[in-house]
Amino acid sequence: MQAYRGKTIEEVIQLLAKYKGKVIAGGTDLIIDLRNGKLTSDTLIDISSIEELRRVEEYDETINIGAATTFTQIIENPLFQENLYGLKRACNTVGSPQIRNKGTIGGNIANGSPAADSIPPLLCLDSIIVLESIKGKREIGLEDYYKDNISIKEDELIISVQFKKPDKGQILSFAKLGLRKALAISRLSIATLLELDENNKVKTIKIASGSLGRYPMREPIVEEFLLGRELTVDVTDKAVKVLQQVMGERLGGRSTLPYKRIAVERIFKEALGDGLKRLKGVEIW
Amino acid sequence: MNLDIVGRNILRIDALSKVTGKALYPEDIFMDNMVYGKTLRSKVPHAYIRIDTGKAEKIDGVIKVLTHKDVPNNEHGVIFKDHEVFCSEKVRRIGDPIAFVVAKNKKICELALKEILIEYEEIEEVFCPIKAMKEDSPKVHGDTNIVYHYKIRKGDVEEGFKNSYAIAENIYRTHMVDHAFLQPEAGISFIDEEGRVTVMVATQYPHYDREEIASALELSEEKVRIINTNIGGAFGGREDISLQIHLALAAKVLNRPIKAIYSREESFIAHAKRHSMIMKYKTGADRDGKLLAMEAEIVGDTGAYASWATNVLRKSGVHATGPYFIPNVKVDSIAVYTNNPFAGAMRGFGATQVPIAHEQQMDILAEKLGIDPIAIRMKNIFKQGSITATGQVLTDSVPLDRCIEKVAEKIDFSLEREEAY
Amino acid sequence: MVEIKLKVNGKSYILEIEEDMRLLDLLREKLGLLGVKEGCSEGECGACTVIMDGKVVNSCLVMAFQAEGSSITTIEGLEKEGEIHPIQQAFIEVGAVQCGYCTPGMILSAKALLDKNPNPTEEEIREGISGNLCRCTGYNKIIQAVEKGKGV
Repeated sequence: MQAYRGKTIEEVIQLLAKYKGKVIAGGTDLIIDLRNGKLTSDTLIDISSIEELRRVEEYDETINIGAATTFTQIIENPLFQENLYGLKRACNTVGSPQIRNKGTIGGNIANGSPAADSIPPLLCLDSIIVLESIKGKREIGLEDYYKDNISIKEDELIISVQFKKPDKGQILSFAKLGLRKALAISRLSIATLLELDENNKVKTIKIASGSLGRYPMREPIVEEFLLGRELTVDVTDKAVKVLQQVMGERLGGRSTLPYKRIAVERIFKEALGDGLKRLKGVEIW
Repeated sequence: MNLDIVGRNILRIDALSKVTGKALYPEDIFMDNMVYGKTLRSKVPHAYIRIDTGKAEKIDGVIKVLTHKDVPNNEHGVIFKDHEVFCSEKVRRIGDPIAFVVAKNKKICELALKEILIEYEEIEEVFCPIKAMKEDSPKVHGDTNIVYHYKIRKGDVEEGFKNSYAIAENIYRTHMVDHAFLQPEAGISFIDEEGRVTVMVATQYPHYDREEIASALELSEEKVRIINTNIGGAFGGREDISLQIHLALAAKVLNRPIKAIYSREESFIAHAKRHSMIMKYKTGADRDGKLLAMEAEIVGDTGAYASWATNVLRKSGVHATGPYFIPNVKVDSIAVYTNNPFAGAMRGFGATQVPIAHEQQMDILAEKLGIDPIAIRMKNIFKQGSITATGQVLTDSVPLDRCIEKVAEKIDFSLEREEAY
Repeated sequence: MVEIKLKVNGKSYILEIEEDMRLLDLLREKLGLLGVKEGCSEGECGACTVIMDGKVVNSCLVMAFQAEGSSITTIEGLEKEGEIHPIQQAFIEVGAVQCGYCTPGMILSAKALLDKNPNPTEEEIREGISGNLCRCTGYNKIIQAVEKGKGV
């Protein structure tokens, strides 16, 4: 095995072009896969010390998270304490302190797990992934990456994930069901981005789910149902039914469906309720 | 007797070495001229096998591949000698040890394991203990899968049920459980200056280990020495032999120090589990909730080997009534071989599974009779002087009533119940 | 083989290592720091926890070559001038040690937590040690020990 410790993005994409090796950042999944033979690679290219890849940058309209930014860095960043709190909360439920100190947002995207905690909030933000190879840069929508099963080419490096900053009145929330509090792969998760108008009607709603399908995805039918309505108990209950209907069709025949169909109610309401609470300052449900 | 320490906080004698990381577990011990060993295990649950180690032995750095042919007396086991040190003709579970590679380092061991050829001739397997009890089921050992049958007969259960106002009849199942002690099995063996086969291992039973190693290697016990290192948790899971005989044999054959360390995965595959049980219960009570009769058939799946099955299932039988006085009792507690991972000792030793059944029976009876679940227990619990189903008279303190009262008070049980009903 | 430079328990090393070696193997086999324990090899148990540049990591999930330029603290690095660390002392006094296999990692997680947050709540202590499994104690004594070790 060869091992390279990349110092710049340029160097890494050159190495990738030459060796088609495996990129390693946090290594929290990759090292396990390499050891148990699920993955084989003659070349490892480490990107965990490339400063440009491990920082969060705020621009006028957008936020750019470097691919090798760890979950701990996101959790501790002041940008994610207010209306983007949902991303912090999602990152905070990843693994354990040890895993969050090493695991990266780019890694969460690259390994494509349906249970990746950080993805649903990023989907609500209509994020895009920036990739680079010696042939140049390429941007793909995060949603398309999953939905259209777009693969990251062997010589491509994930540089960052970007999204437009939501307005102050738009609140990102997240809720997860794990089998225990720490070190739990999510059984299901929901993220929402919510904004109300002056009449308390839903002005903006984005909903994304984790582990309710083969990959994390947006829930457009539920979004459409809620748009323009007031979030009364009745409306919310109906939204849960819509979601249950949609996931039922998607997960039909899976042994986990009966359980998830019931469990999703609480998790959906927790995410949405958290958004409402943050907007209105009061507990709604 | 010196009772100075009673009622005082005493610092653990080994705590300082453990908080500083200086405490040595077997994998922390290194010796000059030391080699490494790794076990080849069965990948199928039930099969006849043919072993070809030729290719593996030719690998550079491989020192020896041990199989059943190298073991003077190829059997062991805490009660029944139903384990083979290395399987000779047949494997009975996934994970059965077949060979032990000794090589210069761990990597070569891994490499050599892949080069040992095992031809499996698979035979019908049995995983359900109920099915395994039937005459026409595949047999794991010998001509019956029933390892042990413990019986309690007290009074006349038929009469008891006839007089019962409410009867609860249910089947309960528990699953197997792994101890998951934090330090996977490891050990190191060498020949000491007095020529003794010495094994340093984290074990619960150094004296049994010595006996079993001596017997397998056909040595006198004086020629075998076990040194217990620090033990990274056990909970019953280190009561059976794991790598002790493999290491001792290798040290004796090669006359040099040898070490083996299991991965977490191998640890799970190698050692015993808590017995999963299928418990068929019938319990009857009169109109006031007084228990009149109980009949239980408890089937414990001991997997491919008996280990402590007799003791475990006996304990399940003895505790089958729970802490309740019942005049008419019939218990059949049976341990059965299957091709599942083998079951053995784990904290509670069979007393932990039966409460799943007898306590739910109490709740179900309470509900049928419209009696409070605490009241029905208070009516039936053992007190000083009570006689258990096995005829034991409880002469000493039996403060169960106080315990239940205290718990009910602390959890504000009355409040919870008002909401429940 | 690659050459790496790193600092372990305050001491600088230049080491020749194999590419497929993990930080755990480097610490145990190259440097003989046997207080780093291997429990699961996949980041579930935390027995191999070390502090890397101020943050806890599972040393089984870091490749040794990735540790280039880093500063590592293992349990062996907590003793200062022959005195054990107050958290270690608290673990002894409270009775938070049983089999001892989780203890080094557990103490390092507690130390990293207290270094960052000298006065954590019980909830924060539980969160801080949530990546370290203990099969003996049921955690209560460990939490009491961290409580006792804080602010000393």
